Amino acid sequence: MIAVGALLHTKQLSRSPFEIATALIVPVVQATLAVYLFRAGGEPGRLLEAAVGAGLMGVWSSVLFGSGGAIQNQRWQGTLEMIMLAPRPPALVVLPITLATALTGTYAMVATLAWGRLLYGIPLTFADPLAFAVAVPGCIIGLGMFGLLLASTFVLLRNANALTNTLEYPIWLVSGMLVPITALPGWTGPIAAALPTTWGARAVREAATGSGPVWPSLGVCLAISLACLALGAIMMTHVERRARAAATLALA
Amino acid sequence: MTALFRLVGTGGVIAYRALFNWTTPAMFVGTLLVGPLFQLLFFAYLGRQLGVADDGFYITGNAVLAASLACVFGGTMAVSNERRFGTLGHVLLSPRSRTAVFLGRVLPYAANGLLIAVTTMTAAALLLGLRVPLDALPGLLLTLAVAALACGFFGLTLGAIGLRFRDVWLVSNVSVALLLLLTGVNVPAAGLPAWMRVTGELLPITHAAEAARRLVAGDGFQAAAPQLAAELAIAAAYAVLAALLLKVFEAESRRRASLDTL
Repeated sequence: MIAVGALLHTKQLSRSPFEIATALIVPVVQATLAVYLFRAGGEPGRLLEAAVGAGLMGVWSSVLFGSGGAIQNQRWQGTLEMIMLAPRPPALVVLPITLATALTGTYAMVATLAWGRLLYGIPLTFADPLAFAVAVPGCIIGLGMFGLLLASTFVLLRNANALTNTLEYPIWLVSGMLVPITALPGWTGPIAAALPTTWGARAVREAATGSGPVWPSLGVCLAISLACLALGAIMMTHVERRARAAATLALA
Repeated sequence: MTALFRLVGTGGVIAYRALFNWTTPAMFVGTLLVGPLFQLLFFAYLGRQLGVADDGFYITGNAVLAASLACVFGGTMAVSNERRFGTLGHVLLSPRSRTAVFLGRVLPYAANGLLIAVTTMTAAALLLGLRVPLDALPGLLLTLAVAALACGFFGLTLGAIGLRFRDVWLVSNVSVALLLLLTGVNVPAAGLPAWMRVTGELLPITHAAEAARRLVAGDGFQAAAPQLAAELAIAAAYAVLAALLLKVFEAESRRRASLDTL
């Protein structure tokens, strides 16, 4: 059910020219910016890291805006009641949506890597190609599960969009997608350690550059994501019951 | 003349209240005040780690750029939200000057952008420890105001394009991302290829960011004046372009009966 649902929602998201163009063009612009910044900083050897980092930033943006607005989008489409009427736990019907937003985020990763290779001649020589091929989908599944927690949290907040717009850069920053965590103030360390994005980004970067062991980072990413999934499922059930009792399911 | 000022001033403020989608306090603070500050911190830490430039470079550049979010999207909303809310036809039925109606709408967004830029610069200077010479403040305020106005007219140009192309939000999103890259706010212009530098020269923010950096460096208003004049010229050029495009696309929309097509 999760696989079919995720495929359905991925297809649906992929029908939107706006979603696709945004997922392809904006990360490419960010990747270009990262490439010139790394070049200006005298770090041409880290261009692959820059392209991978920019791709991960695109995946996070897709999860953040897609999952953050998952419930609201269903509400606007008039399909929220039908989804909630399904005789399955609400988390199971929303999880495919958040997974789909992470899956469509892979367009960003593909776009930034292809752009880097074709235009800047960045060699796509991953230190551990097998680990990279596992780490990227692992990171994406992890972010999809984290997305469920976002979706269930944001549905409780009337001004969730404000939080969505605010959370893009802080997570890029704290998760070390382009800026190493060591360059940040010490108090950000515990926040970074609690985020699956940090460990997912670390696993993908380690697989690409060989800067460390991939599997422990990927394992921690998936463990935190599973915890987010469990928490998100509990919250989703609570939110659904409250919305049914108060008859506010369709109300924005 | 009073009627014209009423049309531009009062009309602009009423349209701002009706069309600007970020007017709830949480949305305004989250999207327009906190968001740009985190963007600034992201690039300041990245630049610091790569050794590209000092904090002052990023604080000043990104504070000027902070105005662009509200101004570019605001300018776009000033036209495209009329269509989305079904009121564009009513506005265009008015016997008053289109140019005055739409150019007046940019002013509240520019004021908004100025507020955001000043807030971002103040917060970032306090957080990262940038000292701005006191005598540079009036010039800096003027520079931020001109940058905000230029971004507003740039946004209005994009909004006018929205009369012809349906997906104007895609154009706005990509334009805002391109401003990050091409204006030399985050990558020193010397590090960009020639065609990107030339393109950046034709965009808002580029000259204002350079003028602001000279003022913050204590070079004085005289040193910043040429760049400030260039930014003003860019603002005027986009105002004229927006007015022309609005005129052309309005005529075409009427001819093709596609004014309210979404």
